Amino acid sequence: MYRKQVRRRRAVLALLVIGSFVLLTITYGQSSGGLQRGVSTVFSPLQDAADRALKPARDLVGWFDKTFDARGENSKLEDELEVAREAAIAGQAALQENAQLRKALDFDRSPAMAESGLDPVSARVVARAPIIWTSAVTIDAGSDDGIRPDDPVMSGGAMVGRVSSVEGGSAQVTLITDDSSAISAKILPGGIQGVMRPVIGDPDQLILDYIDTTEPIDVGSPVVTSGWEAQGLESRFPPNLPIGEVTKASLSEQEASQQVRLRPYADLPNIDLVSVLTGGSRR
Amino acid sequence: MIVTPKITVRVVLIVIVGVLLQLSFFSRIAIFHTSPDLLPALVVSLGLLGGSMTGAVTGFSIGLLVDCLMVSALGASSLVLLTTGYLAGLFRERFDIHSALVPPLLCMVLTLFAEVGYAATQVMLGIDSAVSFLIVRDMLVKSIFAFFLGWPIYLLVRRILRPALVEEPLARRKRRDPTVLGT
Repeated sequence: MYRKQVRRRRAVLALLVIGSFVLLTITYGQSSGGLQRGVSTVFSPLQDAADRALKPARDLVGWFDKTFDARGENSKLEDELEVAREAAIAGQAALQENAQLRKALDFDRSPAMAESGLDPVSARVVARAPIIWTSAVTIDAGSDDGIRPDDPVMSGGAMVGRVSSVEGGSAQVTLITDDSSAISAKILPGGIQGVMRPVIGDPDQLILDYIDTTEPIDVGSPVVTSGWEAQGLESRFPPNLPIGEVTKASLSEQEASQQVRLRPYADLPNIDLVSVLTGGSRR
Repeated sequence: MIVTPKITVRVVLIVIVGVLLQLSFFSRIAIFHTSPDLLPALVVSLGLLGGSMTGAVTGFSIGLLVDCLMVSALGASSLVLLTTGYLAGLFRERFDIHSALVPPLLCMVLTLFAEVGYAATQVMLGIDSAVSFLIVRDMLVKSIFAFFLGWPIYLLVRRILRPALVEEPLARRKRRDPTVLGT
């Protein structure tokens, strides 16, 4: 009797382990299957309700964490404030000039949006992947709102990722910090091009690789999507969507490329509201 | 653990509520730049109370549900969490839980094991990006969080599954005997 029980337990365990490997082999690197879509659709209202119910508690924890961080950052910020004040004065002048130019050209949308003809759809983050190796969030808007796979996703005016799969009322967004993310980007004002890759485990850092070593790069330069188009193929993302700014540019002698470190503009660990840019012609 | 249809429903509810809490709350807060991971601690608690099979099956189910909801490769989280649950159950079957510190300590150790397991799975699947050293800090801090989360989770799960726990009435009777006054 005992032996039979032990044998049955071992069989169940072996079945579960083999099942995991089979699932991993079948679904790795593929788009969502029917099972995932079904489960997501069923759980979408529950996730939405849980997100709303738990928001006050999340905000409370966030407030404590931010207060703790703010104490340490206070002196550093004072130094940065002085530099920022000088930049702000220059920025004011640029804004004034920009406003005049926009008026002259009759622009009522941002340059990136005007070029691409995309419509933003607002959505709220309702769930986030629990492990650091996967950077993905679930949002409460889906194909019913016009969202399609590969649509770019913005937060706070900066790019945070792309839609990886869509259901009726929800969608999954793969963040720019996910291992599967690779975005062609350029450094302004020179337009130096590279491929942006994440650093797993550090959401405050990105790497822009494959850059021409002869080009000088300044710390603080803004980085935007390059949005290339060649031989009938288009980039997944429209050009000039802000991504981040250069924090470090080191010349690697071993490699024939320059690696640039970036800091994303978006607060990726704490994104709450996002805008999905829908209606593009990208594929 | 005596598994009846009622208890199965309770376990399913624990799994669903645990996953929703993780995805909608714990994954979205950061304490010392790290999000606590409730799921390994939950699987450990279920394994400690129900044995190796309960631990393995609930670990597999929780992993599968998470992978389905986050639309990631199915099976990766299941594999890690089923092993975690099985090990917790095996501990319960081989050793007695004499100290109140055992569940939180086991939650801490097995959360670290699960985090290393996730890393191993990712390495197995292939990583194209650079990996920051901060990932080690994340693993360690998550294990420390699991120590503090482990005890309340264990107590809560034990309370919910109390009717199904075989040793529970015996343990209660044993505790009461020496405290009777006047005898």
